[in-house]
Amino acid sequence: MKTEYLTLTATFQPSRTRHRLIFPGLILLVLIFFILDILLGSVSLEVSEVITALSGTADTGVETIIMKFRIPKAITATVVGIALSLSGLQMQTLFRNPMAGPYVLGISSGASLGVAFIVLGLSANISPDSLKGLGNWSLVAASWAGAGVIMIVMLFLASRVKDILTVLIIGIMLSGGISVSIMQYFSHETMLKAYVIWTMGSLGNLTASQLNVLLLSVSAGIILSLLSVKMLNALLLGENYAGSIGLNIRFSRIIIFTGTSILAGSITAFCGPIGFIGIAVPHIARILFRTSDHKILIPGTILTGSAVMLLSDIISQMPGSDNVLPVNSITALMGIPIVIWVIMRNRKYSGIF
Amino acid sequence: MNSHPVIHASYRYLSTMCLSSLLMILMSCSARNETKRNNSDLQENNGVFYAERFTLVRNDGYSKLTITDPWQGAEDVTQVWYLIRRGSVAPPGIDPQNILFVPLQKIICMSSTHLSMIKALDEEHTITGVSGAGFLYDRTLIYRFEKGLVKDVGYDDNLNKELIVNISPDLVMVYGVGSESLGYIGKIKELGIKVLYNADYLETDPLGRAEWIKLFGALYCKEELAEEIFYSIVEEYNELKDYITKNTNIKPTVLLGLPFKDTWFISPGNSYISRMISDAGGDYLWIDTRSSVSIPFGIENVFIKALDADYWLNIGSVNRKDEISAIDLRLEALPCFKNGNLYNNNKRSNSKGANDYWESGSLKPQIILKDIASILHPDLFSDTELFYYRKLD
Repeated sequence: MKTEYLTLTATFQPSRTRHRLIFPGLILLVLIFFILDILLGSVSLEVSEVITALSGTADTGVETIIMKFRIPKAITATVVGIALSLSGLQMQTLFRNPMAGPYVLGISSGASLGVAFIVLGLSANISPDSLKGLGNWSLVAASWAGAGVIMIVMLFLASRVKDILTVLIIGIMLSGGISVSIMQYFSHETMLKAYVIWTMGSLGNLTASQLNVLLLSVSAGIILSLLSVKMLNALLLGENYAGSIGLNIRFSRIIIFTGTSILAGSITAFCGPIGFIGIAVPHIARILFRTSDHKILIPGTILTGSAVMLLSDIISQMPGSDNVLPVNSITALMGIPIVIWVIMRNRKYSGIF
Repeated sequence: MNSHPVIHASYRYLSTMCLSSLLMILMSCSARNETKRNNSDLQENNGVFYAERFTLVRNDGYSKLTITDPWQGAEDVTQVWYLIRRGSVAPPGIDPQNILFVPLQKIICMSSTHLSMIKALDEEHTITGVSGAGFLYDRTLIYRFEKGLVKDVGYDDNLNKELIVNISPDLVMVYGVGSESLGYIGKIKELGIKVLYNADYLETDPLGRAEWIKLFGALYCKEELAEEIFYSIVEEYNELKDYITKNTNIKPTVLLGLPFKDTWFISPGNSYISRMISDAGGDYLWIDTRSSVSIPFGIENVFIKALDADYWLNIGSVNRKDEISAIDLRLEALPCFKNGNLYNNNKRSNSKGANDYWESGSLKPQIILKDIASILHPDLFSDTELFYYRKLD
């Protein structure tokens, strides 16, 4: 165990043979889960049916299930896994805290506030079922606006405040302080239920055009993360040291915060606040690759994140049963043990952060 | 016996059930037009046949009203009331907390279904408070609200308790949403105001829901009028039902509701609306499901079953076809959407979102039945004007 600790903390030089095995293995796993996610669902379909549906010759019902329900959902799951894990990794490095995640900046609270304004705020004036009449886009727009406001506030603070710990505390204060509970208090039960369902997350409700928007914004976020590899590696040593070796701290913070906000904000806008993936996956990736080099960790986190999210989606569909579980219940079930385990062996990790 | 009121009540409940089912068999043997003549005999015993959540027993000088399990998931909860005419002396041994002096002169209603029943008995001047005046549909009530004769007392935990005390009604009629509502109800009770649970919305038999008018009949000492109203509903409903059974041979399939994100909450097969669809000669696609609440199904599961649906009813508060597309584009692929067989129950709703279907519908099951039957079987009736429903376009 002592040697593992040393490799975790001291080496930026990964063992290449290990990575040569893990990367193809993870890619294979993502592919398998992606295919399984399309094959398995609450409606049982034969493999042959799925293949005929893909070739466009099946009966319309099965074809719609595959093309309109399952494939978009599988793509969404992959993208969600990538985006949340990647932003979680960046936040953990930037704040040098293993418990940081995509939402520490208050992004999801901002998004929730936006949604709450639409769902709960209007309920005093309109009838309880009118929410059902509100289109998909209105929730997305509200959520994005909320996340955007928080992002601007955090960017402003990050460029003013010197100590990164202060930024973290302000972020946590913002997430806790933005309270939708007062609106919940005043809202009608039907609306409350609609809001609660939104907070449980959902992957399967994106139309083709929304999926395109999501793919575009997540790509932008990934590009920003790739640009920040060197900054992140330098930040592992602490902001003071990183600054002394020539890193522009303010600029790095802005790049990293913008990337994270775009990633986490878009996911929350389209799928609701999906928990635990962002905190747990970077730890799984560190354990798998035994490194803290972001050149390895970023692609590693991308693959691990999509595999975990696809698996969560497969389980949440409860193949063979009529019911589905909200995806957040599964990510919590998978994420919580990992988070607890990380806390338990925190001493071992303290060297990284 | 008195130390076990619950046991006593449930025993009473059982015996009533046996008695009423026996009477039902007797009734169905006799010709339909004889039912009216039998009314007076029935009142002597126990006049509740279809409703499962309340019983009403007449005794010398008072009526005993028992309400059972008044909210979803309630088990062995009973509320007993002794209805005593104003000016009479209460029989000894009865807790004054359980006494209601009738006829009521001031009532606060927490649900709009209660309003139409009071109105049917011509007692709407006794309504002094409602919950959510924005959801009122009835014109006279809206007028009375604007004149300040009816106050809005708020809802749930936002209940304006001071206003309620100020009104000082004879009774607050609530509908229990769950045991959590006990909180605010406890507070009103503490203020010395009597609170009666109305469980009409839990009745799964359309006639059972309408039968709650008898409870109002007892509260306003208008039992005979209530019986008359109820039996004309029963007669009309059963006549329609027989007519539908005789004159239809195909059973069109029916889909209900709307999805929210990945989840479609499906009304179970033992629900009020499911009964109504069966009686209207339709085949509800989820008729085999059993539950006391709506069941969450995965959207793809509902979608694949809904491909067989001929008609789509009760579509949330949607007014136009394109609002369904805005919720989920994939729903456009359903054959019933393409064929335009979309009917919603919000024809009678006002700009504020109040829907008369929820206000007066529970007392007009025969009209809902006729609406659904004429939707599912367009050639069945010569007059095809719908009352609560309308076609979406």
